[in-house]
Amino acid sequence: MSRSLAVVPHLVRMYVSTRMEYRGAMLLAWFAQALSYAATYTAIALLLLRFGNLGGWTWSEMALLLSFHLLAYSLGASLSFTQFRDIEEKVRLGTFDAVLIKPVSPWVYLVFSGLNIGYVGHIILAVGLMAWSVTQVGVNWSILSALYFVAGLLSAAMVTAAIMTMIGATALVWVRSKHLFSIFFGFWELARYPLNIFPVPLQILMLTIAPLGFLAFVPVAVTLGKPVPLLGDWAGPASLLAGPLAVLLGALHWRHCIQNYQGAGG
Amino acid sequence: MRAAAYPAFALTAFQSRLVYRNQVWASAFGDLVSIFARIAIWTAAFAGATQVDGITLPEMVTYALLSGPLLYWEYSRVLYDVGDAVRTGDVAVFLLKPLHYPSYLLSTHFGHFAFECVAIVVPVALIVGFTVGLLPPASLFHGLMFFPYWAVSWLILFTLACLCGLLAFWLLTAFSLEWLLMAIMSLFSGAIIPLWFLPTPLATIFGYLPFAWISYYPAAVYLGKLDPTATWLHLGIGLLWLGLLTAAVLALWGKARTRLVVQGG
Repeated sequence: MSRSLAVVPHLVRMYVSTRMEYRGAMLLAWFAQALSYAATYTAIALLLLRFGNLGGWTWSEMALLLSFHLLAYSLGASLSFTQFRDIEEKVRLGTFDAVLIKPVSPWVYLVFSGLNIGYVGHIILAVGLMAWSVTQVGVNWSILSALYFVAGLLSAAMVTAAIMTMIGATALVWVRSKHLFSIFFGFWELARYPLNIFPVPLQILMLTIAPLGFLAFVPVAVTLGKPVPLLGDWAGPASLLAGPLAVLLGALHWRHCIQNYQGAGG
Repeated sequence: MRAAAYPAFALTAFQSRLVYRNQVWASAFGDLVSIFARIAIWTAAFAGATQVDGITLPEMVTYALLSGPLLYWEYSRVLYDVGDAVRTGDVAVFLLKPLHYPSYLLSTHFGHFAFECVAIVVPVALIVGFTVGLLPPASLFHGLMFFPYWAVSWLILFTLACLCGLLAFWLLTAFSLEWLLMAIMSLFSGAIIPLWFLPTPLATIFGYLPFAWISYYPAAVYLGKLDPTATWLHLGIGLLWLGLLTAAVLALWGKARTRLVVQGG
């Protein structure tokens, strides 16, 4: 375990160095991604400008929801998305075998040898929007509420990383799992809107099998003091537990898939 | 290469998609979730109102289906194809072949689009139609005019994606270009919010840009929001934009061929 952790800074340094070789492309990508999210958020803002609110959420509250959604996702996905999306290719080509014989944990190696610094644009936009929105929403901030907000953010990032780990790990058994990311991103898109506007079956789905309701809606609704469908008063503790629970399930699934990995062919 | 050979590329692309059945299920499920979410968003926005700015909720449900899965197709595949060909050097192979690369892209991606229409959009439209309900065209004229608008929409989006893809010859990456195009499309095409709900100055400006012909105008014509004169006039403007964009693609391809630097080997 300590040997695995000791190698992490080296893996990260190597990967960042390779990305910095293409500095212009990297900066352009940060800018383009931030611009794309900003355009979508502008469209949502224009919608709210015309209709006043969406399911009882005003623009400043929506801005907090959107920024929380983007920040939590970026933190979790930088540790997982590209790394686990590409497992399928490694399995198909047989290069995943090389990961297994390295003297470090395969998960640690995959995550940190591909730590995605491409999310910097997302994070700058999310932090900027969040800084503006927290001053606009009517929340009486206290140490406890601020601590809950930060803990909810970390828990949400854990949910993202755990789900992506599980999807990627599935490729070790099914060989293909990239298509599951399409389903993930379907629910991910819904998670940027208030959960109460969706039909009840979708709400249940977003709080159980596809728990992306915890990515932004539940912690932000608790912070704003808004009612959370289905969870009620349990929403606060549930949002803090969702991350660790998802990580536990993710770890079990990863271990199961690693144990059942047989390669893609002959 | 004879023009008759290009449909074969479209057919091959169509058939190649049949192999990846899990991707079809996943995409159909993703589109279904997305369209039901959009319906829920518009239902929440209307908040019980019969109509807003002369638009009813059933019209918005139909607009969401038309402007989303049908008209706003998976154009990023064009950028990936060109980007990968430039990055890996495979584009040199296309230059050696007796074919016109942009025409090859057009045929191939039409094949992909046709497959997605048959395997994903039609089933999604049927499910939405039977569960939520979709409106028929406002009239026979508007129904018939939707088809040329649909063709113009598809070709404009293809030429825009192709233009961004060809810029990869200079930038050596298509990744950022895809995101830049996505930013433009989110705001200007009407795929997320139709122009009739925008403040008038913005709607006026956006209404003259080519992006509005991708989602907004075809859906607006289907719903009868343009009278016959305006329908013909806007079709003409759309064709003008298409001509300009096609000329830009051909000019850029002419420059890109002489600009090509393949790394490695």
